[in-house]
Amino acid sequence: MARFNGRDRVLRAVNRQEPDVVPTMEIDIDQRVIDAIQPGLSYADFCDYMDLDAICYYDMKGKKYETVDEAKGIVRDEWGALRRFTRVSRTDPLPVEPAVKSPEDLNTLVRADPDLPSRYTEIEQAVRTYKGKRAIIATVLDPFTTVAEIIRGEVNLYVDMIERPDFVHEVNAIARDYHMRYVTNCIDIGVDAIWVTGDYAMTKGPMVSPTFTARFLTPGLKQIADYCHSRGVPCLKHTDGNIWPIFDLLVQTGIDAIHPIDPAAGMDLGEAKEKYGDKVCLIGGVDCGALLSWGTTDDVRQAVKEAIRKAGKGGGYVCASSNTVHSGVKPDNYVQMIRAIREYGKYPLSFA
Amino acid sequence: MPSNERRKQILKGLYDGVVAFDEDSVVEFSKAAIGEGVDAYDALMKGLAVGMEKVGELYASREYFVPELLLCADALYAGLDILRPHVKGGGSEESGKKIVLGVVEGDVHDIGKNLVKVMFDAAGWEVYDLGNDVPLDRFVEEQQKTNADVVGISALMTTSMLAMPRVTKMIKTRNPNVAVMLGGAPITREIATSYGADGYADNAGEAVEEAGKMVQMIQKGETAHN
Repeated sequence: MARFNGRDRVLRAVNRQEPDVVPTMEIDIDQRVIDAIQPGLSYADFCDYMDLDAICYYDMKGKKYETVDEAKGIVRDEWGALRRFTRVSRTDPLPVEPAVKSPEDLNTLVRADPDLPSRYTEIEQAVRTYKGKRAIIATVLDPFTTVAEIIRGEVNLYVDMIERPDFVHEVNAIARDYHMRYVTNCIDIGVDAIWVTGDYAMTKGPMVSPTFTARFLTPGLKQIADYCHSRGVPCLKHTDGNIWPIFDLLVQTGIDAIHPIDPAAGMDLGEAKEKYGDKVCLIGGVDCGALLSWGTTDDVRQAVKEAIRKAGKGGGYVCASSNTVHSGVKPDNYVQMIRAIREYGKYPLSFA
Repeated sequence: MPSNERRKQILKGLYDGVVAFDEDSVVEFSKAAIGEGVDAYDALMKGLAVGMEKVGELYASREYFVPELLLCADALYAGLDILRPHVKGGGSEESGKKIVLGVVEGDVHDIGKNLVKVMFDAAGWEVYDLGNDVPLDRFVEEQQKTNADVVGISALMTTSMLAMPRVTKMIKTRNPNVAVMLGGAPITREIATSYGADGYADNAGEAVEEAGKMVQMIQKGETAHN
């Protein structure tokens, strides 16, 4: 079989075709894991060093904060929401108070500027350095998540869904406008795919009913997916949790791939492959909780082999952790995971 | 004193109001309970709390989701605010029990913890809610200050979960007779046990029962690990 580069591997997998080997990529890798394996590398350089097939960029980059209370670490973000830097949240401050505390606040809401040049500095750099070699993927928050975590606050939003549904649509439209512009800019720069992040579910099931998911959550995702396709770019979706009750709704948006198929949330790669493998590419499935944090390297190798056996057949699978390579992941386990993917993931698969 | 039939009607009104997240109806029936002489504790436990138990069942069976739960909780608290000042002396096996609740530092996802709080409030526990993103030593301080029977600690993220063994050890070192209960998306019973906790709750409804069992075990000198 012809040998592909990382970009080709990812794009073929996302198109549910077989590349030369099952690709691998991570939406985020904690700097402590990077430093333990190859000290001092940036995330992008680490992806290159490990020969990962894609480099992913958060739209959190380039955010500007105005200091409100230096002693308490409280800042105001670009939407006017209050956030707080803490000992364990030094780069991404935690939400304190949403921008729109009451419906009336919507009239004076400050809109974040999607065209801020600093948002795109790293993506432009990655495109210059790795374009054509590895897939360059821009991640974008789901409009629902921006509303829930920044503009309106989770509790307010959930109550709004029942008590003032029209207001939810109004706020969603503001978030969608921002994210559509961000996606447009990223595609103009030359990214290979868009990855929409933001959770629709918890471990036991979706946060809101399938009816509300279809009414308030998936329309924004569909708009982004449709736009990506109009530009010839695939759209991937990340959502934690047990998504079985809303899997059909996600697929109906037209997304090309879904991540992370978390076994700890009751998701199974084999079942997902059987039910949806002809419609979407699957990404993830290697448990980043107990397995990558405390398992042995043998456990990890077996889990990778099993994941590829379940989901690799015929392509349409990107082997990755079940969320991110977080700070608790044993560095050696991650190294062994990558080696096992390259070893067991060669097409044609010998054991699937 | 109301007739037996009227008393039943009021209790059912409270139950239905919570389940249907009808805050106005709960307020109306709570006032009726006080005004017409229904025992406030009965109204609370046999009306509101039973309604919230039903809500927990509806959530478990995926008929209700987070938005419905939040509004049911609002209805419950509207009734609690009216009934609680009229409860005489406590008088239940749950009254007098205390729990400290919080989400570990670095984690702001507190909807699950808030639902657990609702269930403990409904069951008559004294709840000391530390909120989210709680520094680990705050759990120890609050337990000592309140002499709580149980400390309930929640985490949604795998990264924040990693602080749980440390805070559990800090609490147990300072006071071996307090029960530590863990919960949240990445937590399983096995993980909770390996972290040195006394218990684990799979959902808000189970948390109260689990906490009650843990307190009993500790009072008998047992732990989850012997």
